[in-house]
Amino acid sequence: MKPVLPLHGVMAEFDNPTEFVAAIHAVKSAGYEGFDAYSPMPIEEAAEAMGLHGNKLPLMVLCGGIAGFCCGYALAYWTGVINYPLNIGGRPLHSWPAYIPVLFECTVLFAALTAVFGMLGLNGLPKHYHPVFNVERFALASRSRFFVCIEATDPKFDLEDTKRFLQSLTTVEVSEVQP
Amino acid sequence: MDSAPVQSRQRPYKPPVLGRGQTFDTVTDQISSVVDRTQQPRAWWIGFGIGFVLLNLLLVCVSCLFAWGTGIWGVNNPVGWAFAIINFVWWIGIGHAGTLISAILLLLRQDWRTSINRFAEAMTLFAVACAGIFPIIHTGRPWVAYWLLPYPGTMMVWPNFRSPLVWDVFAVSTYATVSALFWFVGLIPDLATLRDRAENPIAARIYGTFALGWRGSVRHWHRYETAYLLLAGLSTPLVISVHSIVSFDFAVGVIPGWHATIFPPYFVAGAIYAGFAMVLTIAIPLRRMYDIKDYITGQHLDYMARVMLATGLMVCYGYLTEAFFALYSANLFEQYMIQNRMFGPYTSIYWLLILCNGISIQALWFERVRRSPVFLFIICMFVNVGMWLERFVIVVTSLHRDFMPSSWFMYYPTIWDIGTFVGTLGLFITLLFLFIRFLPMISMFEMRTLVPAAEVKEEH
Amino acid sequence: MAESKFHASDFELAPDHVLRRWRLPALAIGCLALAASLVGANTSPTQFYQAWLVAFLYWLGLALGSTAILVLQHITGGRWGATIRRPLEAAAATVPLMALFFLPIVIGLPILYEWARPDVVAHDHILQQKLFYLNKPFFLARAAVYFVIWSVISRQLVSWSTEQDVNGECMKRARRVEFFSRAGMMLYVLTITFAAIDWGMSLTPHWYSHIYGLVFGIGQVLTAMTLMIMVTAMTADRRPMSLVATPERFHDLGKLLFAFVMVWGYFNLSQFLIVWSANLPDEVPWYLDRTTGGWQVLMIVLLIVHFFVPFGLLLSRSFKRNPRTLVRVAALLLLARYLDLYWWITPAFYPGHFTIHPLHAATLIGIGGVWTWAFLTNLARRPLLAFNDPMIALELEKA
Repeated sequence: MKPVLPLHGVMAEFDNPTEFVAAIHAVKSAGYEGFDAYSPMPIEEAAEAMGLHGNKLPLMVLCGGIAGFCCGYALAYWTGVINYPLNIGGRPLHSWPAYIPVLFECTVLFAALTAVFGMLGLNGLPKHYHPVFNVERFALASRSRFFVCIEATDPKFDLEDTKRFLQSLTTVEVSEVQP
Repeated sequence: MDSAPVQSRQRPYKPPVLGRGQTFDTVTDQISSVVDRTQQPRAWWIGFGIGFVLLNLLLVCVSCLFAWGTGIWGVNNPVGWAFAIINFVWWIGIGHAGTLISAILLLLRQDWRTSINRFAEAMTLFAVACAGIFPIIHTGRPWVAYWLLPYPGTMMVWPNFRSPLVWDVFAVSTYATVSALFWFVGLIPDLATLRDRAENPIAARIYGTFALGWRGSVRHWHRYETAYLLLAGLSTPLVISVHSIVSFDFAVGVIPGWHATIFPPYFVAGAIYAGFAMVLTIAIPLRRMYDIKDYITGQHLDYMARVMLATGLMVCYGYLTEAFFALYSANLFEQYMIQNRMFGPYTSIYWLLILCNGISIQALWFERVRRSPVFLFIICMFVNVGMWLERFVIVVTSLHRDFMPSSWFMYYPTIWDIGTFVGTLGLFITLLFLFIRFLPMISMFEMRTLVPAAEVKEEH
Repeated sequence: MAESKFHASDFELAPDHVLRRWRLPALAIGCLALAASLVGANTSPTQFYQAWLVAFLYWLGLALGSTAILVLQHITGGRWGATIRRPLEAAAATVPLMALFFLPIVIGLPILYEWARPDVVAHDHILQQKLFYLNKPFFLARAAVYFVIWSVISRQLVSWSTEQDVNGECMKRARRVEFFSRAGMMLYVLTITFAAIDWGMSLTPHWYSHIYGLVFGIGQVLTAMTLMIMVTAMTADRRPMSLVATPERFHDLGKLLFAFVMVWGYFNLSQFLIVWSANLPDEVPWYLDRTTGGWQVLMIVLLIVHFFVPFGLLLSRSFKRNPRTLVRVAALLLLARYLDLYWWITPAFYPGHFTIHPLHAATLIGIGGVWTWAFLTNLARRPLLAFNDPMIALELEKA
């Protein structure tokens, strides 16, 4: 017998971004905190409605870039000055002008890797299983439809109330999200 | 100034970058239908077939090269570098337009980039792959190509960080990595779309794996957008640095014709120029083949042609400064170099280059030409050839008559040189057609943001 | 379209604005300083001409850089360009005045330029080979051509812009302006290349660098951009500028400033790295002259104030959006531009030996005072906003 897990939450579907953003505002002002919204493309207004402002990524990328610079310098300096000093064309051992291109590339490389893996890490990806995928119509979230899901972990969550609340917001469909 | 009432005004005209009547569904369906359909148009099979045949030519040429050594090429002292470096620079340059379109135009908020950035980025990757082959096979012992990396060789000697060839290794590998990341990050949401649409469970599984479980959460989009912009901000100086470093390969040397301080910006302009020509060379047949004129409109052709005109004129500025400074320098070797280019044994190549790169593009001053796919395609072909010739002129005519007349030499490519070059064209074409077949060639999620319905109306 | 709520007079610079009030004091200070430099010219003519050249090139940078940005914004469009168009035009219109300030250089030609001294040329076979280009009549003819071209570009664009205030916008004209601007851009790049060779590079006549003209050009554009940001910030708190000078616009201007700083660094690095690596005896002295005997201090200061500090500050988004912070970095760069030109030009006279003379200050303030007066007069003469520009109109509808 399969163990019965508690519901993940209740999900409402919208067919245009205007209602979607309005719904996020409504959910937020109704006092819900444990909810998420899904859209097939980035919508600035939706991020604002959810109260998302700056994030840690630029700072992380800056640190990544600085780390790349330091690593590049350390590599060039250690190999050319300390480990195997070699006079080439009378140039100084510590030829800092000649290091500039390599340092630049290392900075960019580390910063770019930080940007990509930092974004994936903060987003908790890859994560191939997520309860929202159990809703059949959620396949449209990557195409043309917008979804708001209030999760069962929210203290204000009550299956019937929340369902009714979401139904008042959307003209399309409200469904339960199996875990 | 009197206080006359302000005259009636016009709104600034903003040309459409997406055909009329598009919705979220039509955008998604039309773009992914290319991938979904089981039967590709005949043109796809023809294109792929040509590419595949040429790819096999590459395999033959490279195998023979490995078996017999670089002696089968036409290079000899003092022309130690010829087709390999010409093709390397040509391919790398072509790649740059992809990064430019995806990064710089994103930062400049040019939304017309949206319909071309995906395949332009793919083009970048494939061009870099083609470019990367040449330095490696040119080493003579490609199985120890990893010695290029910071790795102590047999005598525990490290690579020389004062050498532009080492800078090149860092630049090209960073460029390849960052371009691949940029491309992949842009693909993630579209892979999720393909995952959700796929009817074939195996396809769904493959697309799903690479989509990393993307579910379009607003929180995710928020960080995603930041990361995408940051990558664009990093790629912009990166792409400039890469071709500058490629130009340092020449300019840091003391050969007349190579040692010019204008080289870095001149090479960057040339790269963008060649790259846009290649993007158009691909885009013009593609929009016909798959009937995607709603996405790649006349406006796109016009904008790209303008970029070509601007960068083409910059390249001409480079030719002009080279000629002027040879005259101004009062340096015998500089003067002989330019004279040898213009009237020496390779004179026809120099003037052909001026014809292709300098004269043919003057037609782009006219809007009618810029919007005509046929004319534009012909001009792009001229530019593709012209930019290849430019590198030939820079490499071969500068080297073949060096400081000492006793070592002068005429370089002629052998059949293996030509075969390898044509072979990389095959690799490029093959990869491009596979990409069109298996991945959405236009960014769907970004197209959705351009659909009229995407506008969030303010509540009253 | 409905009758607008604005009148043309709404777009004038406010009558009591500080920029209006500065006009006469600027002229007075300028004339005083000019008089002082003329006195100095009697006692030490060599120093006078050397100082005059740097000061002339500095203020020419503001006039010509503005012309270049003006042309650029006509080609690319964009709201940032429409916002600063009038200040750009006011600065571009000073080109004929700069032609007047060129006259002392004509007089001091043999003092400034080795190739203009027949006794030097007689013993220098390289200069003899360069005589076809570096000779007095051709030099003067070229200078005349440059000034004519620059004046035509700026005058034509200014007059079209004034007409627009009266007639409103029409698409046909916009197309003509764009076409003219493209030609203007090409001509600017070509003329500034050769002007830089004539006036700057030929000070060390044996030496040459292919990128010299571009470094010069980007320096001018950067100089002009800093001034535009300062003017916009100074007028932003009151009408009419407050209607359009939003944080969004300052962000755009800040990004452009950032881009120009980067390009300046890139061009300089290109030249330096190639010269350093090749280490050829006929090239590398140019850097040796500028990195020894005290000049290296100036170079390090330049690297900091002209590159690293602006670069670090302009990375931040909020920094660019705030006019009060942005204007500070613009002012720093405006100062750094003079230092940069000083470092490029003066070591040609004093290789490897740092020198400064009071006449540098006198000429800088002298030309600057008169130039500022001309600029502010031009600025006050016409509405501060090109209100019939479609981009501006769009902003005004929202206001």
